[in-house]
Amino acid sequence: MPRFNIRPYIFIAPALIYLAIWIFYPILNAFVLSFFDSPTGRSRDYFWVGLGNYTKLLQDDLFLKSLYHNIIWVLLSIAIPVVLGLLLAVVLSGRGRTRLVYASIYFIPQTVAAVCAAIVWRWIYDPSIGPLNHMLEAIGLTGRPWLADESIVLIAVNMIGSWSYYGFCVLIFMAGLQNISPELYDAAKIDGAGAIQRFLYVTIPLLRNAITFVLVYTIIGSMKFFDLIFVATNGGPNEASTVVGLRIYWHSMREGRFNYAATMSTILTVVILVLSVVVIRQIVTEEGD
Amino acid sequence: MNISAEPRKRRSYRSSRIIQSIIIHAILLLFVFIALFPIYLMFNAALKTSAELFQSFLSLPKDPQWQNFSFILNEQGYKGALYNSMILSTSSMILTTIISVLAGYGFAVYRFVGKQWLFLLVLTGLMVSETSVLIPVYQLLQDLGLLNTYAGMILPQAALGLTFGVFLMTTFFKDIPRALIDAAVVDGGSDLQVLRYVIMPLARPAIMSLALIEFMWAWNSFFFPLVIATKQWLMPMSVRIIDFMGRFTFKYDMIATTTVILFTPILILYLITQRSFHRGITFGALKD
Repeated sequence: MPRFNIRPYIFIAPALIYLAIWIFYPILNAFVLSFFDSPTGRSRDYFWVGLGNYTKLLQDDLFLKSLYHNIIWVLLSIAIPVVLGLLLAVVLSGRGRTRLVYASIYFIPQTVAAVCAAIVWRWIYDPSIGPLNHMLEAIGLTGRPWLADESIVLIAVNMIGSWSYYGFCVLIFMAGLQNISPELYDAAKIDGAGAIQRFLYVTIPLLRNAITFVLVYTIIGSMKFFDLIFVATNGGPNEASTVVGLRIYWHSMREGRFNYAATMSTILTVVILVLSVVVIRQIVTEEGD
Repeated sequence: MNISAEPRKRRSYRSSRIIQSIIIHAILLLFVFIALFPIYLMFNAALKTSAELFQSFLSLPKDPQWQNFSFILNEQGYKGALYNSMILSTSSMILTTIISVLAGYGFAVYRFVGKQWLFLLVLTGLMVSETSVLIPVYQLLQDLGLLNTYAGMILPQAALGLTFGVFLMTTFFKDIPRALIDAAVVDGGSDLQVLRYVIMPLARPAIMSLALIEFMWAWNSFFFPLVIATKQWLMPMSVRIIDFMGRFTFKYDMIATTTVILFTPILILYLITQRSFHRGITFGALKD
């Protein structure tokens, strides 16, 4: 053990203090707030309600619905942009410099602010004057009121998210594939492995780090997202696309029920933590096999 | 027999290779189209009149309406919003980058008690979202009298990118050969000299990546500014756009113009510095 040295602590102190003020203290504070209520929303009027907010939340259909929508969003985001990103990255990995050009272009939607993407796609989805329905009608299909139809609105909004996200996945997986030496593929080929077998038994296991990263990142992003849905539908129609982020915003900023919203925040943090740990452990355990 | 069969086999092998290659290119190009088409529509809509846009969204504008931009920026007063976006993104970029470089140096160069735990603590910040910390952050800003101020908008925004920054800097600095640092220390270099003359020159691309990504995040950020900047004079572009949508509901040409104004600076930045962006974004995924 080296002699005690104060210097490293001085270098990391600004970061730790900064995070303590704006991240760690708020997380803990939200947890504390969740056990109180306040008729005015002001801290001097707090009174202890124990688990009252939590029992109320469990009976709050709208909250449960929003949590369910977040989970659906996680699954859709894995099923579409992540899988697509992986496949495109594998296809691209075989080619030389052109793959960088493709990846650069695929990434462009990721640089579009979620607010912008939502606005542009609202227009694209517009049932009467939007390009999408016009194009569908041009090839003989009937359009739909994409964002006003309760049964498809969540998928329609997820398509906006997928549009901006698949390029990000391509980039990560492509970088991961670069670290796999071509000899492994050659060896698998000699052993008679087909393209699909090589994908399943060489590519996937060796991409473990990149896959873990993307899955965790996707889960976190899907649980906390707000901008896109706020602008695209604001949770409508009839709350068919509401998510936890919207509920938190609504209860705190519109209704002034800060403690109730803080309870939702706490649950959100716990769900994110649990899901991330489950994914990380699942993949790390497989590594041990 | 063998001799005559061989070339035919090779030919069919080759033609199936060609078909395969055509299909692959078609798929790759399809996704190029998917990525770019909405962006094309956005720029196209911004340069058309409402009437022309209603007739056709696909054709290029006959008479590009460049004055749409000056209408929004000058007459509608969005120049101020653009200025606010600039202040917000530049300040939070500088703040995050400096703190991250310092912390990265501490974590990468030194061995000290509690290092693993403190690094892990920083990393848990990755799992935290704006929505999770909204209420305490809001109340803290209220108590400090920072609601509706630039500082109130910048300080929490910088915190959101800090975990990523510390992580990126630490992993990058760890790759710098130890011998270079030791040599500088033996020569009597202080910490700040080592950082300034050994680390910084070698890690300039990484620091550049971090700064660019932080700038983009802050520029595109929406949730905190929406809640913290409720006065119009303070709103950044991303928030002002929403107010615009309410007033010009079906004026899609005007709405598209505002999105183009928000998007173009980032697009240009990305096109110039793509490799820097890519480096910063992929590094985290591979090293952990």
